[in-house]
Amino acid sequence: MRLWVAVWAARLVGLVSRISGRGGSSLPGMVARRIDPLVLSKLVSRLSKGVILLTGTNGKTTTAALAASLLQCDGHPIVHNQAGANLIVGLTSTMVQAEKWRVYPRAALALLETDEASMPRAGQETHPRAIVVTNFFRDQLDRYGELSTTVGMVRKAISQMASDGWLVLNADDPQVAFLGQDQQHVIYFGLDLPVNATLEETGDDVVDARFCPRCGQALRYRQRYYAHLGDYSCPNCGWSRPIPHWTATLWDKQSHIVTVRHGNDLMELPMNMPGIYNVYNLVGAVAAAMTQGLPAHEMGRCLEHFEPAFGRMEQVMIRDHQIWLALVKNPVGFTQVLEAVGDWPESSKWALIAINDRYADGQDVSWLWDVDFETLGPRLGIDQWWVSGMRAYDMALRLKYAGIPDEKVHVVENPNIALDMMVDQSTRTVTIYVMPTYTALLDLRQHLTQKGYTRHFREG
Amino acid sequence: MGWTSIKKSHLTLLHLYPDHMNLYGDRGNVIALVHRAGRRGIDVEVVAGELGKPIGWQHVDMVFMGGGEDSHQSRIAEDFLLRAPELTRRLDDGIPMLAICGAYQLLGHYYRTVDGQKLPGIGYLDVTTEPGRPRAIGDVVCETTLPIVPATLVGFENHGGRTFLGSGATPLATIYRGQGNNGQDHTEGAMKLHTIGTYLHGSLLPKNPHLTDLLLSWAVDPSGSLMDLAPMDMSLEMKAHELIVARGEKVR
Ligand SMILES: [Zn+2]
Repeated sequence: MRLWVAVWAARLVGLVSRISGRGGSSLPGMVARRIDPLVLSKLVSRLSKGVILLTGTNGKTTTAALAASLLQCDGHPIVHNQAGANLIVGLTSTMVQAEKWRVYPRAALALLETDEASMPRAGQETHPRAIVVTNFFRDQLDRYGELSTTVGMVRKAISQMASDGWLVLNADDPQVAFLGQDQQHVIYFGLDLPVNATLEETGDDVVDARFCPRCGQALRYRQRYYAHLGDYSCPNCGWSRPIPHWTATLWDKQSHIVTVRHGNDLMELPMNMPGIYNVYNLVGAVAAAMTQGLPAHEMGRCLEHFEPAFGRMEQVMIRDHQIWLALVKNPVGFTQVLEAVGDWPESSKWALIAINDRYADGQDVSWLWDVDFETLGPRLGIDQWWVSGMRAYDMALRLKYAGIPDEKVHVVENPNIALDMMVDQSTRTVTIYVMPTYTALLDLRQHLTQKGYTRHFREG
Repeated sequence: MGWTSIKKSHLTLLHLYPDHMNLYGDRGNVIALVHRAGRRGIDVEVVAGELGKPIGWQHVDMVFMGGGEDSHQSRIAEDFLLRAPELTRRLDDGIPMLAICGAYQLLGHYYRTVDGQKLPGIGYLDVTTEPGRPRAIGDVVCETTLPIVPATLVGFENHGGRTFLGSGATPLATIYRGQGNNGQDHTEGAMKLHTIGTYLHGSLLPKNPHLTDLLLSWAVDPSGSLMDLAPMDMSLEMKAHELIVARGEKVR
């Protein structure tokens, strides 16, 4: 009884806040938890296939969206949260909102993207059937403390997993792979791309976790794709990368096809997104979806119409201008976005970087100094750099100290105004790359929507 | 003594443990030193001092060391102790050192981690560090007694340790916003001769160009008699600086 009061009160609150235009996605979850603290556990216990939690520093949203496409492909609905709603109240909101009238088919499975800090709680309340971990990079350290703290939080969730649960781990990330040590059911995914597909070496300082998680010695890499992701082994204790069960073996950038190997089977999957990090997201999503026993030959079809989530290298047209939006939130992610921009063949590129330092962005902007603009800057072919946001001057300084000439850098503190100016001042041959932090992205989205320039955005 | 008479056109910057101690944009400080020296025609060679690697101390003109996670800090602590005699000899000669966060803690007598592990420091600064909770996190605005204009230093702090100054230590600055050394005595950082230990990152030097220039002037002339380098524009730097100062004004 209490459960239903909680669910319906929360749904009512959600409805009211949507109508009044204040789209707080956490409010219904907060209300529901206040009325019935066990609401999340109770609701997930009704799911016949249980819960998959997906966590990690980067790629959560895209991996979850790809996995959701695969899991829903055969018409079975799943519960899937929105990117902004990945704290425990957000997960609760998601489950509460998913309680439909009986005429709709009930979802059997929930795939929940979960913030690292919410993992212990989420583990305890959902006893997941699978946990997927994408990678561990330094991110918003002002919130979580240190990388080892983050790893510890995920470990806590793993200890709460159902006894027949699967761990789905990125084999190429040492800290992630090590989570599988001494675990029963582990599925590893990784890359085994030809050498020329690896990225040029950028500043070594971006590498966070290249020490052996078992003994602490520096790891040796046979192959490194970016940051500390690759094929490694420890010269001291002999621990090495687990052999992945799902491996991306080929990435054809021209035809947008990624080949994934599983045992002796090869699958060709469409991937219409730039950046090697999206190859990881894809193969991670495949590995996650396969815990549910999807027919492998169906996968390509399921992904054909996949569109990246909002702000994850998503294309928008403003008048005749091509605009790409990509959220930036930590050094490795930012570096990867810049690499992807550099990969593009467009003749003229302008960049807009919008840095806010609100809580959701990370209040510490030090990380901008860990992005290797020194090496990347000259390689990207960007003619104009526009910088915006609450910390526009920190960003402008970063570019200046990276040797980007002053006349190529424009400071316009309001990102919306900056974008409008860029569209006005550029010709149609210019492609504009917008790289905002989280709250700047939200502001830009609202601005674009108000101007009617966007396709229908999916949340998150 | 004039600027031109003792001008050095080449400086060697020793970056200690860049692999282990590189939290929170520490390399931004190295970038700032290299940049502002370079604009003045001074070429800075950055030399990495890693675990067990020999260091040509006689050629070192300035030293930088950043922060690290506790586990990384404990990995280098022993090596750092072995280097203490040579390092302190050079610091006593007057070469500048900037030590941020974990490096600052290891310049003191000891640092006790949250797990209760006691990491001995080299004791160059008369400070000790005890664990504390919660972590001190946020913007910092403080005022230093160093001969720089403006007197404000700004940055971002993120540390669990609480550092207490002994009678032989001089604080770097007085806190106006933030926690600083320990959240109690309104001090931030410590200094001795031309060595500065501080919790400020952000990165510190890019938005404190006056401090960058002071460190460079000490590197050029360790006797400290050279007070001014060739003047150089710092308007963009000060815009980033003043944004944080303004946040401090509100709480003053
Ligand atoms: Zn090892």
